[in-house]
Amino acid sequence: MAASSGPPASASLRRAVTGSAGGWEARRRREYLYGLWPALIVLAGVTLAPAVYLVVTSLTPLNLTNPQSEWNFRDPLGNYALLVEDARFHNSLLVQAKLSIFTVSFQLLVGLAVAILLNARSRFLEAVRTMFLIPMVLPPIVVAIIWKVLYTPDISPFHMFLNSIGRPMGAMITSPDYAIWSIVIPDVWEWFPFTMLLLLAALQMLPEEPLEAALIDGAGPWQKFVYVVLPLLRPAILVAGLFRLIDSIKAFPLIYILTEGGPGKVTEITNWYAFVQAFNFNYLGFASAITVVMVVATFLLSWGIIRVVGTEVDVE
Amino acid sequence: MSSAKLAAGRGKGAGWGLRLGLGYAGVVLLILVVMFPFLWLLQMSFKPDMLIFAWPPVLTFEPTMKHYTDLQGGQFQKSFANSGIISVTSTALSLLIGVPASYVLSRARLGSKGTIALWILATRMAPPIAFTIPFFLAYRQLEWIDTLQGMVLIYMTFNLSLVIWMMRTFFDSIPRVLEEAALIDGASVWGTFRRVILPLSAPGLGATAIFAFLFSWNDFFYALILTRTKAMTAPVAVVNFMNYEGWEWGKIAAGGTMVMLPVVMFSLVVRNYLVRGLTAGAVKG
Repeated sequence: MAASSGPPASASLRRAVTGSAGGWEARRRREYLYGLWPALIVLAGVTLAPAVYLVVTSLTPLNLTNPQSEWNFRDPLGNYALLVEDARFHNSLLVQAKLSIFTVSFQLLVGLAVAILLNARSRFLEAVRTMFLIPMVLPPIVVAIIWKVLYTPDISPFHMFLNSIGRPMGAMITSPDYAIWSIVIPDVWEWFPFTMLLLLAALQMLPEEPLEAALIDGAGPWQKFVYVVLPLLRPAILVAGLFRLIDSIKAFPLIYILTEGGPGKVTEITNWYAFVQAFNFNYLGFASAITVVMVVATFLLSWGIIRVVGTEVDVE
Repeated sequence: MSSAKLAAGRGKGAGWGLRLGLGYAGVVLLILVVMFPFLWLLQMSFKPDMLIFAWPPVLTFEPTMKHYTDLQGGQFQKSFANSGIISVTSTALSLLIGVPASYVLSRARLGSKGTIALWILATRMAPPIAFTIPFFLAYRQLEWIDTLQGMVLIYMTFNLSLVIWMMRTFFDSIPRVLEEAALIDGASVWGTFRRVILPLSAPGLGATAIFAFLFSWNDFFYALILTRTKAMTAPVAVVNFMNYEGWEWGKIAAGGTMVMLPVVMFSLVVRNYLVRGLTAGAVKG
């Protein structure tokens, strides 16, 4: 931060050239602000104002089919009181926790395994690396459509294969036991390239010395990995995990296309529950309260993890 | 002793070659597994209807463009155009106001930099529904639901913070000495910015523009809720093919392929910036 106005020598030179330091600095500052204000105003308009509106709405029983529910602040904490006792909301938190834990941990595991496999200086590996990125860059809705095809018994090559060998299987997306896995699998497929990229970058920047020292001490490949490589990768693993965790709370297209929160409520995450309350049932006030809780929880969770991670790494 | 060591070394060499070969075979197999779902949709989009349900799968068929021509002239074509118009406009606007702001954040001495950074980080973390509900209510009053300008504006929620954050790191990497000389000669901040800094940051600008375009193009959630028919975007239009009796799988596959086509092409252009783009707005020091 201290370096933002350039080295002291050039500052004094500037003073000599422009005559008055104060006038010059003030002019430059004014010029800078012209560039900053438009962005700050628009950003405030599209993010701060909606945030305030969301919180205000969450204090009303707003229901679009009932005009009297608008701007009605007689029971401002009513929605939050409902949430405390709402079993469906509690279930959605539990499903969210399950989904986040499964997807993030598998993405880290698969990402790390592939990163290790691809971590070598070779023309071939560098060329194929790009192909692994494809799932991640596909539009999320296309990912959902692809897996809808793979999960629909009529046209799925998996189902047709199982039928042909005489071991038909029911559709995963409608099975109460496996529906959650039918979301986890495509999510891991879609996002392991992301953890792989971060971990591959970290692997390629590992210092040589500790690895050589381990080799001299006679460590086998497995020991080298567990006692040397993994601890060195810890910061990158935490960062990759944090990103995936935050995004896992926003999961939507897969659930919309594949399970719609069902069967029953087994894949109903909090984001989906808020969506249903707001746009299927028109309970916008109640949905706002769910969303406020979700946003606050996301911030607290991230803040907690950044406090742990932040002491170890400096990422951007 | 030395000869024994040599022999051991030679033995290790041969084993190493074998392991390398196995490793490559493993990588190729893995690529096939990872690419399979994507390729399956691609081949489906060119498959005649009758063969889509065939088992064992017919992989040597005469490709048909029927599913693609079916998409012409209807809602999908219009939505595809909408997606393009909305994404390009939102990208252009967010660059126009975001790039100068990110330059200021990179260069100026401001007490509030930390606050602005935290604010941008917060907008990135918040789930889209947090913006959708208030925008939906406001657009109902303004009669902006199902309008192009409504979609452009809501895409600014993520594009503006993306541009500010990505461009700031690009500007940070350009040494200050370059503009110092011009500034000492009495040139204005923005004159210097235009003549000296902008040309140097062209690659960063290009990558940022592509990311802003991709995030807008890929959006499904906002478009699902805030559009009906007039401003419907391509991702929503494809999903609409799934809502009728007797799903037209060929058409769905062709529509999906059309939606992913620009994305896959552009992503390959910016593949070296992927990590930076996807983690823009993250913690920094």
